[in-house]
Amino acid sequence: MTRSLLRRAGPGLWLFGPALAWLAVAVLGLIWTAREPGAWAPIDRRAGGLAGSSSCVACHPAQATSWRRSYHRTMTQPASGAAVLAPFAGESLLYQGFRATMTRSNFGLPHLRVESVEGGAPLLDLDVALTVGSHRYQQYVARVDRGGGPGELWRLPVAWHLGERRWIPMNAAFLEPEGEPGDADDYLRHFSRWNDNCILCHNTEPVPGLSDRSHGTGPEGQAWFASRVGEFGIACEACHGPAGAHVARQADPARRLLGGAGDPAIADPGRMTPRAESGACGRCHGNRIAADVAAVLRAGDGFLPGEDLAARSRPIFADSRVGGSDETPFATRFWPDGTPRLSAYEYQGLLQSPCYQDGQAGGLGCNHCHDMHGERPDMQVRAGRAGQAACAGCHALDPGHGGHGAAIDCQGCHMPRITYGLLEGMISHRISSPDPGAWVGRHDQPDACTQCHVDRSRRWAAEQLPQLGLAGTAAGEEASEEAWAPRVLLDLHGGDPVQRGLAAHALARPEVPVPATTRLAWLVDALEDGYPAVRWMAWRAMQRLAAGQGMDPKLSELIIAYDPHAEAATRLPAVDALRARLGPGPLAEERRLALEARQDASLLSIGE
Amino acid sequence: MLRRVSPERHLRLSLALAALFLATGLWLEAMIGLRLGGWVDDPLRREFLRLGHAHGGLLALLNLGLGLALERLGTPDPWARAIRPAALLGALLVGLGFIVGGLWHGPTDPGLPVLVVPAGALMLLGALVAGALVRRGDRRPGSSV
Repeated sequence: MTRSLLRRAGPGLWLFGPALAWLAVAVLGLIWTAREPGAWAPIDRRAGGLAGSSSCVACHPAQATSWRRSYHRTMTQPASGAAVLAPFAGESLLYQGFRATMTRSNFGLPHLRVESVEGGAPLLDLDVALTVGSHRYQQYVARVDRGGGPGELWRLPVAWHLGERRWIPMNAAFLEPEGEPGDADDYLRHFSRWNDNCILCHNTEPVPGLSDRSHGTGPEGQAWFASRVGEFGIACEACHGPAGAHVARQADPARRLLGGAGDPAIADPGRMTPRAESGACGRCHGNRIAADVAAVLRAGDGFLPGEDLAARSRPIFADSRVGGSDETPFATRFWPDGTPRLSAYEYQGLLQSPCYQDGQAGGLGCNHCHDMHGERPDMQVRAGRAGQAACAGCHALDPGHGGHGAAIDCQGCHMPRITYGLLEGMISHRISSPDPGAWVGRHDQPDACTQCHVDRSRRWAAEQLPQLGLAGTAAGEEASEEAWAPRVLLDLHGGDPVQRGLAAHALARPEVPVPATTRLAWLVDALEDGYPAVRWMAWRAMQRLAAGQGMDPKLSELIIAYDPHAEAATRLPAVDALRARLGPGPLAEERRLALEARQDASLLSIGE
Repeated sequence: MLRRVSPERHLRLSLALAALFLATGLWLEAMIGLRLGGWVDDPLRREFLRLGHAHGGLLALLNLGLGLALERLGTPDPWARAIRPAALLGALLVGLGFIVGGLWHGPTDPGLPVLVVPAGALMLLGALVAGALVRRGDRRPGSSV
């Protein structure tokens, strides 16, 4: 029969037969896959295990390319090759009576040695194992067994600042007073364990691996770490969840050809509700308290992107309490109205914003403004959503606002830079409308208006609102000093450390309508601040202002000659030289001292 | 129409096919020049439109060569009558399969029309192999004449 068929078909069978056979097989394969429940049904994502970012590249090359450009990828890296951004070529950093020297070991590994200037055995003498961060500053982590086993890793007390290309003490990156010179405990205040801290938000699928039983050579009852991560840094599976099941399913080409509607075996934040997709970001960009801390330290947080984050942990707010205590240990991380004032609380800011709308469809989520796979890694703002475009989809842009739209975008007023993080002033993620009149007479929180109009008071700002066609509370009674100094100067001299740092940062913003030379003269006082982080912010603000067009080059030299981390005896001559160049500060001596006296009452010690 | 592809029609259709796929090049150039959305921002679509343009154009030229070769080699008529439509249809399916699969594609893969690309490739491959192997005096397979 076959021979007969061949005879009848002739050349046509030879020439068209294979193609028809292929099409038949392809169609049957598509039908089979379309009817196969295993190819489509929801699946236990965790059971499929991790696949690693390398398994994503073949199908998602554009996303892999944008991720490779991101600071997420380089959040944590083994300390070798191009991952190490600092020279480690013999630089040294003298701080608080200790000298840190950064070199290379015989094997070329980055190496840190810390010694007291008074001699004696080195405080630290370690090879660097991991790098953390690559955007603003890079921190370093070394393997040190301090009783937690050979897997214990510790964050080192110095970091490399990328903008300034210089070493900084980690103590000076925290908002806290300087310790006692020569005190090793003070110097190592932030020599903190990686295994139960950094690992959690700087890696993919982290497992701290803490156990409290004897393990190998570990003593009985001693905390013992067998930490592991799915992948160093924030890789694909940090936001999309474990991809093993997805990769296995998508190995079938028919499944891929038919699968335009997505795959429940993998989480895609782009298809989630604002609540769910923001939860995937809030896992790290919103400090939180785990429902079961011991379980997290043992085996990780167990959160899968797409699940309800609140089921695993609760975000920290100003009134959050721990363990049934009445104390509110996190209150200093928030402004009095509950707005977060530190970075890594962006999720809380979003939750507090009216635009969030409880995370329902149509509400605002992180994805609206941010795109993890966009062109620019810096801030990862979604294309077409920068500035006013972020708000234009829901809000008709009011041409009024007194012409503010031409000078500043929506975020300038509705997401002011009242957040401190990583030695910078950052925008608040709590979207709100300024109401300066309501805060007249108060010194405990900066407002959007006077962070830009740095030469004005809150009363002035409140009086401007009606002229701009905007509603606001009528100004109440001013505190006496509000009559003789603008708000930012009051903060710079008499605010708490966060206010002082943010005031310094505000004075250098390019949109500020006050001459740069005036602002430079105001900033000099902050170079004598007791907090190294505030001095650093004032110093950087002065550098930015002095780099402007038409500025005196000698001024930049004087600013560069100042070192915010040097001991006071070294710093003060540089401050005097700047004062001589820029003229006296804006406040009379007795007023300045009266404001600075308030600083003692606002001592803070809060993290990055 | 393809069942009665004369040598002359094969050459004319080959030229028409070449013109068609070369014209898609103008379209692609226009999309690059005008920075059209859906082109510059869609690497998968861009890749498959380029594949369709390049394959369609080159395979049309191959058809031109094959048409001339069949006459020059004196390929027996029963074979030539099958080879010509197979080669033409193959080139068309490869080019169009890439283009249509690229125009309507999924998140990671081209659309279903891309499945005709292997079918077209098999036809064209068969046509070339037959053109190379069948001699002037060969009989039709299975035939006693």
